[in-house]
This record gives sequence, C-alpha cells and structure tokens, in this order.
Amino acid sequence: MTIRDMEPESFWDSLDAQLNTTDLELRLEHDDFYSQPEWDVYRMHYLGLGGYQLFAWLSVPKGQGPFPALLRMPDYGSVHDLIYTPLRHRAIVMNATHRGQRHSDSGFQAQYPGLLTEGIGEPESYVMHQVFADSLRAVDALLDQVQWEITKLVLYGAGLGGSLALAAAARRPQVEAVASDTPLALGHAEVLGQSAAYPLAGLSDYLRVLPHRREAIIDVTSPLDPVKIAPNVSVPVLLSLGRRDRGLCPISIGEELATQLRDCDLRVYDGSSEGGGHEHSKIRGDWLGERLGMLQ
Amino acid sequence: MASQEDLEQFITRVTPPEDFTDFWNDVIAELDSVPLEPGTSPVAIRSNDGVNVHRATFLSLGGLEIVAWYSVPTIGDGPFPAIISFPGYKGEPSLRRDWGRKGVVTLTVAVRGKLRSNSDFNPGYPGLLTDGIESRETYSYKGVVADCLRGVDFLLSRPEVDSNRIYACGSSQGGGLTLITSALRPEIQGGVAGYPFLCCFPESMQLLRSYPYDELNCYARAFPERVSNMLETLRYYDAVNFAGRITCPMAVGIALADEVCPPETSYAAYRALAGPKELWLFPDSGHGNAHEYPAKETSWLEKQLGLTSDPRLT
Repeated sequence: MTIRDMEPESFWDSLDAQLNTTDLELRLEHDDFYSQPEWDVYRMHYLGLGGYQLFAWLSVPKGQGPFPALLRMPDYGSVHDLIYTPLRHRAIVMNATHRGQRHSDSGFQAQYPGLLTEGIGEPESYVMHQVFADSLRAVDALLDQVQWEITKLVLYGAGLGGSLALAAAARRPQVEAVASDTPLALGHAEVLGQSAAYPLAGLSDYLRVLPHRREAIIDVTSPLDPVKIAPNVSVPVLLSLGRRDRGLCPISIGEELATQLRDCDLRVYDGSSEGGGHEHSKIRGDWLGERLGMLQ
Repeated sequence: MASQEDLEQFITRVTPPEDFTDFWNDVIAELDSVPLEPGTSPVAIRSNDGVNVHRATFLSLGGLEIVAWYSVPTIGDGPFPAIISFPGYKGEPSLRRDWGRKGVVTLTVAVRGKLRSNSDFNPGYPGLLTDGIESRETYSYKGVVADCLRGVDFLLSRPEVDSNRIYACGSSQGGGLTLITSALRPEIQGGVAGYPFLCCFPESMQLLRSYPYDELNCYARAFPERVSNMLETLRYYDAVNFAGRITCPMAVGIALADEVCPPETSYAAYRALAGPKELWLFPDSGHGNAHEYPAKETSWLEKQLGLTSDPRLT
C-alpha cells in the first residue's frame, strides 16, 4: 500500500506515535541581549523526531501572567528570527524553527531551493515529513513549559508556515485559531509541472531531471496536502491568497482549500506569493489580536 | 503611514566622515590584493531550456570563498548584458532564471554569512548587523560590501558578459547594497533599489522597533559605552553617504507604510543620488510587498537594457 492509499489519519497517527517515543528535553535560556524593556526573550531548545535538536525564539511580556500565546510557524527560508510584532507587548510569542533552518541546523542544513525535494526518494528519508513533525513538536514544547500559564493558543504562518499551522491545528486540540497566508500547496497533485516560481518550482526541477519519479513524488508528498488536512481543522481560519501566486498556493488550490475548512474567512488579493501584503497585514493583526483576547 | 510631504521634509543628520573616500579606496586596494580565482560548475537540476544555471565561486576580502547563482542564456553566443542581484538581510539569494530567455546573464550573490558562503563567517540573523561594529575595520559589512564588489569583478572576468552592460538590483538590504556597489563600481550602468536598507542608521534606530535596525538598539542597551563608536562606524557604511557618488541611472522604490526600512530614510538616499533617477512610491504597501514593484523593476531594467528594441529578444 502506498502512502496515498493510507487514510490521512494513519500517516499523522504514525508521526505522532514516533514523536511520543522521544522526550522533549525542553530547556529555556534567557537572552539578555535581545530582551526588551517590555518583554523578555528566551532561546528554547527541545528534541524533535529522531532526537533532533530544535530551536525557537520565545518572548514573554513583563509582568505576571497568564498570557495568551501566538506561535509563528516558520516559512520556507533559512532564517526564522525575532520578527517584531506589537503583540509581543501582551502575548507570549514563539518563533519556532524546523530542522535545517538556522539554529536547528546541527544535523542538517537546508538548501534553498532544495528543501522540498531533500530525501524525497523514500518516505522514511523525506525531510518534509520531519519538518511537519517539527511543527507539531513546537506546539508541544510551548504547552510543556511550566513557567507561564497560557490562556489561549493561536497559530500564524505564511507560505510553508501557513501549511504547518494548518497541520498543527488539525492535530493539536489546544489550538484555538489559525491565520494562514498563501499556505504552501505541497502534496497537491496539481502543483507538479505547473509551478513556475519557487519554492514549488523545486518539484518541477526535480521532475525535469527524473520524470519517471512523478507518481512517487505524488505519493510521498500527498499527506502534506493542505486540502487533505483541512477537514480536520475545526477552529476558525483566516486564509489569504494571491490571484497571481505561482509558487506557494495557486489560486485554484487555495479556493479548493477554503471549501474544505469548516470556518474559513477567505481573503483574496491581486498579489502573488505575498498574498494581501500591507492591507492584509493590518487585517491579520486585528484578527489575531481578537482571537488572542487582546482587543480593548 | 508616511506621506510624500513627510519624506520631503525629512533631513538626515548623517554625513560622510572626512576620510570616507580614502577608507573605501583602501578597502578596494585590499580587495585587489586578493586573487579572484573565479570558478563555475553546472547545476543541471536548476537549468532549463532557456538558461544554464551554474554555481559560481570567487574569492573576496580575507580570502573567503563566496558563492553565487550564475545563470547564462542557452540561446546565443553573447556577449550578453548582465544583472547582478544582491540579497536581503535574512533571505537567501534567489535564482533569477526569468532573465535567461531574454538574453540576459544574472548573478545573485550569497554574500558572506549566507548559506554556502558561511563556512568561515557566520554571525547569524540577528547578529550580522552588529558583528564587529566597534570599528570600521572589523565591521561585518566591510566584507559584505567587498563580496558585492567581487561579484562585479566576477562578471567582468566572464567572456560571455558584455562588460559595458552590467546593471544591479536588489530589495531591502539588497537595495542598500545596490546603492553602495553602484557608487564603488563605475562599471555598473544603472540599478534598481527597492525598499533600501542601510540608510540613515541613527534615525532608523529611532523611527521603528523592528529588526534588523533594532539590533542596533539592543547593542546600544547592552554596551552604552560603545554607542559613539558604533555610530561612527556606521557613517562609513550608510548608503546615504554613497548615493551622492552615484551618477548612473537609478530607480528607487519606497513603500510609505514600510515597517522595516523607514520610508523617510530611503527617500534621503534617493534625494542624494547624483545621476538620472526615478522614484516609485507605493502608498498602501509595507516592506517588500508592493504588488506593482516586481513588474516595475523588470520593466525598468528591460528599458535600460534595450530589450524591447532588440528583435532577437522579443
């Protein structure tokens, strides 16, 4: 039986079963240099699938909790750093990295382009399965820490991070809402051969050299298809798409995804991979603030 | 969101140090003492019908090996015009294969600290902006700028490149590096700087709280006794101090709601440009996300390269 023939839940159950065999071994280090007058910054270290050492930035508002928490999933790129957001004043904000990104690269350094096809020859070695497991692990690490009480947990991600956020929401019932911008359509069969822009063009590059691998790629990536993940996301989702997007979430796939989400606020813009750009960033900021219970 | 009036009223306090020119002449002389040792190796998986992609390498300041994506058109023998592209602060240099079918060579440089160019220098992000900032000689950007200059040298070493038709572009840090490199390398015939970073450091630190500029505030909080040294170092690397030395045509794109590179500071660089210049203001856009920007950049470069009038390329 191929992965494609499995029930989607079987793939994810198997991934979680593997995660459960590894202790988190969570450590927090206060970072004096990047801490601010209004919030403290910590470096989080924890173990992922196979005992892989993972890293996240964590900021915690000054003062007594409890606090709501925003987990920012990593995009397709080598750096996921301390992006400024005014939400840091009143919410815990975690910027989690996946294996291969800076600070989580002691065992594997991701390449761009290259990440989407790393180890794609076999399901056991395909790095993107592990990357999705790392995003589940980030939620576990945030909830496992005991220093601060968390009142609400909301996820945000763009591109790859948008898909990671949806997958984590589907698998972790503590998540209360997701903002997902142009979620990477990895795993959707339509992206093979039609992607003219990176990161999805990385799959087209691979098939140009190894065209006989087409069915195998569809098989190994299919569990990660956000359209297949969507029916298991029961929380509210703010979804943004770009009509000219050719590298992350082509509009036809994005609209299909929206129909599969139970509670989706879909915003479509004229842009490309940036989705709604500045206009949407304002909408998203307000939406996240409301979901985190931070509106006055 | 800033207005155009805000931009015009903004006057930076940044001025070049007296020995600014001497310093950069010395850096260039130091760089000239390092052999270029250019190399290329084909990357079949990234090549297609229109373009052959290579992994390019060359040596830069301190003997560091710098890596770049080098894309050469498959059709025609050249010499081809060329575009050199510089990366943003955090992002990796992207492949610019789209120009291959238009008969244009592209080089996108992974400056030191980027993946593939970080085996001997890896301060990280955040980290790069304050690395070695105690002195102009030790500052990270001395090497970063040198790597950009060396990218131009690499193009000049290639027989398939038309050395009289080299253009530059980049956004954010890439925009700042486009300005600086265009000032230091007269072989560049024009360039596009989008949302330029590295402009008006003292004011940028105060206008916004976002990274990367906030790294400077973190440094100032941690080492208050070193702030004057830091600000003195930054005068040698402020793109505003280079802009007045640029005489080739330039286009500058500025987002009026830019939350990473204050629009006033980018405008200060635009205003200082000494040659023909074009300003693109994007009223409802933030950093790097003006929908119109990519098409405007392409169109401007095509016009400068004369592509629309070349029947072989239409």
